[in-house]
Amino acid sequence: MIEDGIICIDIGSTWTKAAMFNLSHDRFSVKSRAVVATTTSHLPDGVYAALHQLQPEYDWHSIGPAPVPLRFSSSAKGGLNVAVVGLVPEMTLHIARLAAFSAGARICAAYPYRLTRSCIAAIEQAHPDILLLCGGTDGGNERYVTENARAIASSAFNGTIVYAGNNQAVDQVRDLLGERDLRITENLMPDFGRLNIEPVRETIRQVFLERIVAGKGLDELVRRFDTQPLPTPLAVLNLVEAIGNNVPGWERFALIDMGGATTDFYSFCEAYNPDSGTVLKGIVEPRIKRTVEGDLGMRVSAAAAFDTAKDFLLQSLEDSQNGYADMQSYVDRLSANTSYLPVDLAEQQYDRLLAAACLQHALVRHAGTIEEVMTTKGPVMAQTGKDLRHVNRMIGSGGFLAAMGRAGDILELQSPKPAESEKLHLLPENFEYYADTEYVLPLLGCLASEFPRQSAASAVQYLTRMHHNEQVKEFSHREFTHA
Amino acid sequence: MTPVNIVLGVIGFDCHSVGNKILEAFFSEAGFKVTNLGVMVSQEEFINAAIETDARAIMVSSLYGHGEIDCAGLREKCIEKGLEDIILYVGGNLVVGKTPFAEVEAKFLKMGYDRVFGPDCDLAKVVELLKNDLDTRQKGND
Repeated sequence: MIEDGIICIDIGSTWTKAAMFNLSHDRFSVKSRAVVATTTSHLPDGVYAALHQLQPEYDWHSIGPAPVPLRFSSSAKGGLNVAVVGLVPEMTLHIARLAAFSAGARICAAYPYRLTRSCIAAIEQAHPDILLLCGGTDGGNERYVTENARAIASSAFNGTIVYAGNNQAVDQVRDLLGERDLRITENLMPDFGRLNIEPVRETIRQVFLERIVAGKGLDELVRRFDTQPLPTPLAVLNLVEAIGNNVPGWERFALIDMGGATTDFYSFCEAYNPDSGTVLKGIVEPRIKRTVEGDLGMRVSAAAAFDTAKDFLLQSLEDSQNGYADMQSYVDRLSANTSYLPVDLAEQQYDRLLAAACLQHALVRHAGTIEEVMTTKGPVMAQTGKDLRHVNRMIGSGGFLAAMGRAGDILELQSPKPAESEKLHLLPENFEYYADTEYVLPLLGCLASEFPRQSAASAVQYLTRMHHNEQVKEFSHREFTHA
Repeated sequence: MTPVNIVLGVIGFDCHSVGNKILEAFFSEAGFKVTNLGVMVSQEEFINAAIETDARAIMVSSLYGHGEIDCAGLREKCIEKGLEDIILYVGGNLVVGKTPFAEVEAKFLKMGYDRVFGPDCDLAKVVELLKNDLDTRQKGND
């Protein structure tokens, strides 16, 4: 059936994008594309409109089997919100964040130790789709998870609770929360420092299917086309993993997806080299890692990003008269109108600076640090977090980075100034930059778990290698449909 | 019976790793569930590990002579973090020079360590003392 092609659809919060792919010689190639505005009140309407663009001759509303198989991902309505509750901030809470991000979720709140009344009130207020409760190694601390389960039991929170803490506390947690929608999975840190995030990821994915699919019309698509959707970030994560595992030369790379509201950063590389003589403090982070920065974005989060990156922007604009104040008023315009597009060169330059700031901060937060400490045996390097120094390729994705003119500017701006502490950020030292100008990554991501080799090879082929000071063609959604 | 969790490590900027491996093997053999943090462990790391694993004892080693400055304040931090009942042992070459062991011991006991050991202590004896101390602490709480 795949010989006749396969359709992938990504339902974003603004645009529903679709493409028909052909598979031949182990490569997917784009046969046709479509993009329509996402119909937030009833998502299938937009999907049917996109399908109609792809194959106008077929009556998509008929109940007959679809002419080609179909896969889809969705990040509509903000995706999947998760609140994480762990024990020690650097340990189980940190791992819970990694696990939730790698399941494609957004984290709306994170609490260590004991849930206080005000934490519970904040959770009730935020009403996340999932509350991820963990803490304690297997056979370790039971007190906190039990107390937290009790606090949740007496709260008005009625979402799904995923328990991934100490396995010795499972019975107490079940007794306390058995009346709720409770999913019990393996401990995400069964022994101190050992990560086990796969079961949590799978459980969150399952909950996504059940809870998120229902009520937005996605269930209609599931029945009609007999396929389950993926959260868009998970589709991208699957593709990142497929590329890293299958494409020669792409064993160590990163992908940055910059949107209006968030900046997502994905990395694929070993987090720590035990033969380097460097001492690792804390956990060995996973080879594939995703982080999401809610205060770094190009439109909805422009004001927050402007605040966060104040030092960097002041430094970058110090040569231009009134530069900082002018940029401030540009950011105010963006906040007032989040679909605003730059109208002149100055505004384009502010967009580029904002993108560079988001990139720099997302990178610094994703990467670990290293510092030299003196010991009686001489200096020793101590590492915390993930080492990205050997990442040699970086992909820019999402509307802004894919479309940004003069990508070289961003590269030049992103080299961060030395931090105030002695700690050195473990950032990529030397990398080639690629842009997802064809907008295929999330779409191919829908195929990554079924066809890892083919989707990975195709994704890399569709990327555009950027050089410093190179003008990238301006991108528009109209072009997307006619490419 | 579930094994008792203990946390083990070499404190400060000390990277003597041989004794640490021996201690891990010895305590595991004696039936404890050992979380070994290895070398160059900070006070915070000891405490974080003890919280997550619900450890009943922290075994601190120091071999390079800076034990006094590295070990001071651990008891207070444990109390701050809710580990009021945790047993703290410390051992190794705790100070530079030829200070008599009795003086060294008194100094570390005063810092809040439950027991203090020199570099040539008998590990079997340490295990016996630890089991006794755990029982005593347990009875105190019952």
